[in-house]
Amino acid sequence: MKPEPLRRLEDPSELLAQPRLAAVVEDAPGDERRLKLPLARLDAAAELLVERHGRLVGMFCVDRPEPSLLVSIAFRGELIALRAPLEGEVEYPSLARFSRAALLPERELHDRFGLVPVGHPELTPILHPDPDRITRDVIGAGTFVMPYGPVRSGIFESIQYEIETGGEDVLALHVRPFFKHRALEQRFRDLPYEHGTLLAERVAGIATVAHALAFAQAVERATGVEATRRAQRWRVVHAELERIANHLDVAMKLADDAALAVGVARFGILKEEIMRLRARLCGSRFGRGVVVPGGVSAPLLAPNDVLRALDEFERDLRRDRRLLLATTSFTDRLIGSGRLDFAAIESYAGVGPVARGSGVATDARFERPYGAYVRLGGDPVTSEEGDAQGRLLVRFGEIRQSLHLIRQAFERLDKYGPELRADLPPVDATGFGWAEAPMGEVVYWVALGGGRVRSTRIASPSLRNWPLFAASFRGDVLTDFSFIEHSFGLTPAGADR
Amino acid sequence: MLEWLARGLHKGIVTTGYPRRPEPAPAGFRGRVAVIEAGAADPSLEDVCPTGAITVRDGDVALDRGRCILCGLCVAADPARFTLVSDFETAAGSRWALVVGEPPVATLDAVRRTLGDRSRTLRRSIHIRHVDAGSDGADEWEISALTNPYYDMQRLGLYFTPAPRHADVLLVTGGVTESMRAPLARTYEVMPSPKAVVAAGTDACSGGFALPAGEVAGGVDQVLPVHVYVPGSPPSPIALLHGLLLAAGIVTNEIANERQAQP
Amino acid sequence: MTWILGAGFVALAAAVLLPLLSPRLGALAAAAGCVLLAVVGFGSAAGWTHATVQLGTWLGFGDSALVCDRLAGIFFALVGGTGAAVSLALFERPPTRLVASLHALILLAVATVIGVDQAFVFLLAWETITLSLYLIASADRDRPGNLVAAYFGAGLSKLGGACLLAAFGLLYAHTHTFEFSGWMHVSDLGATRSVVFVLLLLGFGSKIGVLPLQGALPPLYVASPGASAATVTIAFNAGFYGLWRLVFGTLGPGPMWWGELLIVLGGLGALVGILYAVTQDETKRFLGFSSVEHGGIILLGFGVALVGQSTHKPDLAAVGLLAATLQLIAHGIAKPLAFLGANRIEDGTGEETMRPLGGLAARMPRTAIGFGIAMVTLAALPPFAGFVSEWFTFEALLQGFRLDSTLAQLIMALGAALLALTAGIGLLAFARLYGGIFLGRARTVLDACEPSGPGLGFVGLSLVLLLLGPAAPWEIRWLGRGLEGLLGFNLSASTIKWPLTLGPVYPNFSVLAPTWLALGIPTFLLAAAALVKLLLRPHVRRAPVWLSGTAMDISAVQYTPEAYANPIRVVLAGAYGFRRSLEPVPPDPTAPDEPGKRALVTRVVPAFEHYLYRPVEHGALWLSGQARRFQSGRLSTYLLYVLIVLLAVLALIPALRS
Repeated sequence: MKPEPLRRLEDPSELLAQPRLAAVVEDAPGDERRLKLPLARLDAAAELLVERHGRLVGMFCVDRPEPSLLVSIAFRGELIALRAPLEGEVEYPSLARFSRAALLPERELHDRFGLVPVGHPELTPILHPDPDRITRDVIGAGTFVMPYGPVRSGIFESIQYEIETGGEDVLALHVRPFFKHRALEQRFRDLPYEHGTLLAERVAGIATVAHALAFAQAVERATGVEATRRAQRWRVVHAELERIANHLDVAMKLADDAALAVGVARFGILKEEIMRLRARLCGSRFGRGVVVPGGVSAPLLAPNDVLRALDEFERDLRRDRRLLLATTSFTDRLIGSGRLDFAAIESYAGVGPVARGSGVATDARFERPYGAYVRLGGDPVTSEEGDAQGRLLVRFGEIRQSLHLIRQAFERLDKYGPELRADLPPVDATGFGWAEAPMGEVVYWVALGGGRVRSTRIASPSLRNWPLFAASFRGDVLTDFSFIEHSFGLTPAGADR
Repeated sequence: MLEWLARGLHKGIVTTGYPRRPEPAPAGFRGRVAVIEAGAADPSLEDVCPTGAITVRDGDVALDRGRCILCGLCVAADPARFTLVSDFETAAGSRWALVVGEPPVATLDAVRRTLGDRSRTLRRSIHIRHVDAGSDGADEWEISALTNPYYDMQRLGLYFTPAPRHADVLLVTGGVTESMRAPLARTYEVMPSPKAVVAAGTDACSGGFALPAGEVAGGVDQVLPVHVYVPGSPPSPIALLHGLLLAAGIVTNEIANERQAQP
Repeated sequence: MTWILGAGFVALAAAVLLPLLSPRLGALAAAAGCVLLAVVGFGSAAGWTHATVQLGTWLGFGDSALVCDRLAGIFFALVGGTGAAVSLALFERPPTRLVASLHALILLAVATVIGVDQAFVFLLAWETITLSLYLIASADRDRPGNLVAAYFGAGLSKLGGACLLAAFGLLYAHTHTFEFSGWMHVSDLGATRSVVFVLLLLGFGSKIGVLPLQGALPPLYVASPGASAATVTIAFNAGFYGLWRLVFGTLGPGPMWWGELLIVLGGLGALVGILYAVTQDETKRFLGFSSVEHGGIILLGFGVALVGQSTHKPDLAAVGLLAATLQLIAHGIAKPLAFLGANRIEDGTGEETMRPLGGLAARMPRTAIGFGIAMVTLAALPPFAGFVSEWFTFEALLQGFRLDSTLAQLIMALGAALLALTAGIGLLAFARLYGGIFLGRARTVLDACEPSGPGLGFVGLSLVLLLLGPAAPWEIRWLGRGLEGLLGFNLSASTIKWPLTLGPVYPNFSVLAPTWLALGIPTFLLAAAALVKLLLRPHVRRAPVWLSGTAMDISAVQYTPEAYANPIRVVLAGAYGFRRSLEPVPPDPTAPDEPGKRALVTRVVPAFEHYLYRPVEHGALWLSGQARRFQSGRLSTYLLYVLIVLLAVLALIPALRS
């Protein structure tokens, strides 16, 4: 099957002008479309859009311009925001009726804001999980539940899994996130733009640049001011370096699972070289302090130094990649593990390499280009396999693509003016910002007022992909668990916020 | 397999000589913030810091490195007073020692030599259990970097273990969210003594940026007794090594004390 | 000694009738009889005595007597000792009168089979065993499956009995006597010798559970009520006695393929037995399949003995026979002990399966220890008796290089490989059984208590089994004298070297020292514990079980016995015909808001039942259906049959005359 990109929405005006929806169009910047609807019609409108292959991105309860329920649905080329004022109501028709991607967000909304989705199949508390609670889904002789987490064996982030097993095979998997819930969305209140960017960096530490980018772009779109061209190109460089580091980390963890110590060592060296390059480039191994609202901070290295380091890195990577993929004791463990098909990805609205590994060609850099990606262009890297090896091949392809993008970004740098930063005025506005993090698309919604951030909402790619992880175990056994988990490459810190 | 071997030989030795030889940080690396001029400070300086690490008392400025996320905003606001130092060894043995105060350079050399001696004479290998109590994910990358060929902590006798019953040191990242309190406490309880707790990262030292939101306890020392604090957002691998070796000293010293105290 | 032998038989005979008065008296009498037989057997095997009880002439089939020579002595000692222990167990918890009587009847019949020296009485006693097994299995008619098991077992045993009858008939035709002594060294048999061998193998094999006749055994064990399952296990020693006496001792050196066939059948049977055992949930059924496994291991040794006998290598025959006899004794004591233990578990908890149990070691410590000793013996862990016998079996199979025939070498190597695989899976299976019942936390059954009473039989067998391994040199010395009649020389001279080390009859090949191991291992353990206690002086603090930082209820998240064996089923899914699927369960109407559950459905294809027994059963039923055509019920048809037979006989006689 050919890789399927996210579809464009055809005839949106005709679609959304249906009288029964009673939708009112609001002002929105370029590739956004905002509609105001009555609360009772929200699910019908969302269902229409999801039927037309829109991807449910997030459901937020916002307080600007008035307390409302905000549902955002992504298409190729535009992001549609359906806003329904709450007007004191707490019940609303559940979107989980037609979209599995709404299951987790609605539970979170219920716990945080008390909004009740009518018709939700399993409305159980999600925010403060009880580590001692046992969920049994499968009845059968000799089946039992094996808890794994929240404290796990290895240097991993905390999340709890309950594995229902008959001894060797995994019959059902329950994922319990939100052990690391830091309530960061609330922390954004009344922060100046700069402090907000610093906080956004620390929502998901391994996707620092992507989150900061999404936040900064949300602020920039709300204020109507773009970052400078030179800054946009540097932003691309940092984002792609972060992507390379993440993908190398995934390869390293997979090699560790297969007990291939040489693979772990070689990819550890490669990842360390990238982290040290980033440290020389900006003073922080994770790119902290790079993205500022309106631009970037001054780089500490010249582009030629970066390119030289990357050339040497690419030579090493090519040889190590070839060796790794030729080691059958390693690839045997990946082939066939955690198979996800196209339909599953679509029904859960999956994003990132997980989706691209199953043939869904969705990538925020290329379907709703932002910053310098508008001029750089490109196509998402996909694979047809759908298993852990497919996802790993997608990641290796993306590393190559990232190196190419960095070289492209540096190419015409001298054409642009030297300004690295634009000033952002204080406004009263709301805006969306998005960026393609290494795990998938991250979307921020911000409401600004008086030069400060009033309210922020985050749609994290890891939270959207965790249900896919639970659904990806079909006929796999316990020893495949860590392979499948690491091939997803998700971060609980980003999901739990 | 021979090809892997050839690749490894081709690369050569990349392991750092730390702690025997000093490891210099790259130029511009954000290691820690130093206070150049402590007196005659304006109280409005406190607003510059997003996490509230700067306090001004009677015109004297104090910077709490346990809350500092190395954003550099204070350096940009007042370069005459604050400066970023490219330094790796930032750990301290108590919370108040993180409040700057400039450690004199001579002391640092002596500490480095003692650490070198100690790692040579470590008769026990120290096993470390890591628990993530609500970090942002970057601290875990830096901790797992300790096992890559650049840092190779196993040459110093440090090992990671998944079983708390075999662990001597509990390495905690994250400022202890509500849901992770009980699991963290259980991990500590199940470790045999002598044990030491290392709080790695600014979140673990003080709760970090997230503190006022109310979900985070405000640092590991609100839940467990902490022996070594390693600030940083996130702490670099050498800083972690420095902190772990300090903790190793605690552990081996405690064993010697126990033996002496026995009748 | 003759008086003691006679008294023993009389006591057993009395024990058959005494339960009419009181089952306890019957059990006591049976115990007394068994003890007497054991004493006689022990002495006879050691060569100190030779007892004979004349039985007179039986219906013109010739003189018969109950003789206790050296070989019979070994079996008398084994059957008597274990029979006494089981009788004591029955004395403490008396069963119904029928079962007590049948218990004694089985023991009496087995003793007769071992002691008698004439084929007719042998067959009589053999069929009595078959009949009593049928009766004891069908004693508890209410339990589903019992009657089927009884019929199946009886049917298979009857088949075996018919083969024995045919074999004895052939031998009589050549020697014109029913006495076993008359059959020894019969020379001009030719091809009939092999026919007789196959018939004897089928006959005795139906009791032992030789492949492919093993399917009847486990249901028979499950059907036997209470501790009588242990009696059934003792009855199977009769089959081995038949092989020892009639195949090795009487039929004499035969072609090589006899031994090779037994090695193959034994190895495969052992593997099949343990593969089925590892997935069983019922304790008694598990032990039944384990009997099949151990029967296979015994046949491995016996096969080597036959190979040695046919190639005229007395050392090889000796090591094979020694290995088989050691395994027989170890298994012969451990299996009744295991069944007594299973019975105690059933009495203490009311459960027959492993799944609801768990954590019984704390609440039933004596049963745990005794059962544990039986388990380590059956799983062949050093330095216990099971390890000694399995070591000898391996050593016997490893002597294949001394043979000239390549085929024989390959088959011996194959046997060794099958034994190794069986031993490995056996460890898993026994660990699962013991762990699933006694270790961990209780799953469903929370209250259990030790059955009342001193448990003399149970404790006695445990002690004997515990010391049997370290006492191996003395056991082998005794067996050397006991087997001297069959082998022609005393093997203990070359097997036991000073001081107390064992070798596989051939000198300078390999050594094993179970006595020293049994002394050394505990000494080292105690020394290590003492060192830690005295020098390190650890301070012990108790902390909860580590469960990833949670405080979940451990009994809900620990491994179940099925889960423990699941990897084997997944890996060998082809052999088991194993398939699993998750089917949605219709939602509970009383709780409509609960999310739908799914049920795990497991399908296994039991190969022998599916591909062998059922077709044979269908065929037999079809045949008998066809035969009914002859039973028209009309007198005229039957008179016609009589006429036809008469004419045929009249025609045959002149033909035979000339």
